[in-house]
Amino acid sequence: MNEEKQITDALEQYGRRLVFKERLARAQASIDMDSMRQRAQMLATDAEPPVKRIGRVRELWQTYRSTFAVAAAVAIVTTFSTLFLVRYYRNTTQQQEQYSMLRRDVQAIKQSQNRILDGLSVRRKSLITVNPGQIAGTSFLLNSDGYLVTNNHIVQGADSVYVQSQSGDVYKARVVYADKGYDLAILSVRDDSTFRPGQVVPYGFDPRPSDLGERVFTLGFPRDEIVYGEGYVSSGTGYRNDSSAYQVAISVNPGNSGGPLLDGSGNVIGIISGKQVSSEGASFAIKTDFLYRAISAIPNDSLKGQPLKLSRRSALSRLPRTQQIKRVQQNVYMVKVFKHKE
Amino acid sequence: MRETIRLHWTDEALLDGLASGSDAALNQLYQRYFPMTLHLILSNNGSEDDAKDIFQEALVVLYERAQDETFALSAQLKTYLYSVCRRLWLKQLSRRGRFGSLAADELNESDELLSTDEDLTEHERRNEQFDLMAASLAKLGEPCRTLLEDFYIRQLSMQDITEKFGYTNTDNAKTQKYKCLMRLKRLFFSDYQE
Repeated sequence: MNEEKQITDALEQYGRRLVFKERLARAQASIDMDSMRQRAQMLATDAEPPVKRIGRVRELWQTYRSTFAVAAAVAIVTTFSTLFLVRYYRNTTQQQEQYSMLRRDVQAIKQSQNRILDGLSVRRKSLITVNPGQIAGTSFLLNSDGYLVTNNHIVQGADSVYVQSQSGDVYKARVVYADKGYDLAILSVRDDSTFRPGQVVPYGFDPRPSDLGERVFTLGFPRDEIVYGEGYVSSGTGYRNDSSAYQVAISVNPGNSGGPLLDGSGNVIGIISGKQVSSEGASFAIKTDFLYRAISAIPNDSLKGQPLKLSRRSALSRLPRTQQIKRVQQNVYMVKVFKHKE
Repeated sequence: MRETIRLHWTDEALLDGLASGSDAALNQLYQRYFPMTLHLILSNNGSEDDAKDIFQEALVVLYERAQDETFALSAQLKTYLYSVCRRLWLKQLSRRGRFGSLAADELNESDELLSTDEDLTEHERRNEQFDLMAASLAKLGEPCRTLLEDFYIRQLSMQDITEKFGYTNTDNAKTQKYKCLMRLKRLFFSDYQE
């Protein structure tokens, strides 16, 4: 009897479909084909042109554009802030800790200044009391015309610069040229009416690279009295392989910056500029060659037409060290820098 | 059949209306979804008549699925119909020896195509059965064919049939009907088993 049920079911289903098809035919006949066509047309215009379907990537881009933008922005910010932080860390933490510029903060030692003041003449006294010096370093004469060289980091941002000789004479100095890259500054005291062009400087300036182990000495003002220091050239490059400087095993202190570095025969081979804090006995001096370069870069206007010439011959070569020092120290000046407190 | 005029049909209401034989629901289905099908077929090498045929067949699929009370839509009716139409048209195209892919094939919303394979396999089976039934009925000959159609399809009562065919009483008519059904059964299953 199962088959009988099946056949009646099949028959009924057949019937239902027949009836439904009739109804469909009626429904289809009753539709308004014109409006249907119109609406289909509208679908066609509404729909994206088929070309657009090709770009699956573009579709993704359209959908996730804003997400991409946010992600990219975050990536950029992260990258640059990381770079910045790394550089900042290097510059501040490492370099400043490792490389110390040897300028002396005078403010910290006011008491000793008072002692100097007692020894100064009235004119000098008034100058100093009006403008308490804040930074001190060393400089030395380039020639008898009143040009001196020192480190740029000493005179940087200065309101006024004074140089003081070992005998106590103070001259107002003008910054003729500052070379930030090599940390060199050329000063002139020619404008100070009390300055008298003196004798020819006894030392010569030797631009040739010095050999390792060359015995060298320096004079500077790490305190208010001139101080002699002795050592040897220990490396042909400076801090972080800086080829513009020597590494010198010499004892220097804040205030020595800008001092001359002389070899045994009295040639200036460099200018003391700094030392490495983390290791013992590593000081740095800018090579004389770069002093020549800095001088040749000075605009003519700054020199008022007169070329700045350096002597290459030293008059000290035959003298014993004590005599050399005596002759040199007359040409080494203390630099005092005044600036507004920041 | 009484029809209330409905302004808004939900998918469920349309489905119920379709199953219960409401012409309004059928018209509504045409109004709503025929343009979409027309656009699909026209932009894929088809004619208007093709569109009508395909849409009809899709409605048949839907109708027969809706007969089953457990049937529930897993997506929007629109998506379902579109998927079925698309599938049917692809089949039609491959039957005509054309490419089996559609050039302009977009669903307006971000709806995804439904997998309608199961429904369509069932539909194929029913089609076969339908054709077989038509053939069997044709072989059956008169008056058996009309008698069975009257009873099972047009659902006339035995009384009406007795009068129409001039039988002496309803029992006689019932016996006739039974004999006819048995012959149909033989015809139908001899082919169906093959």
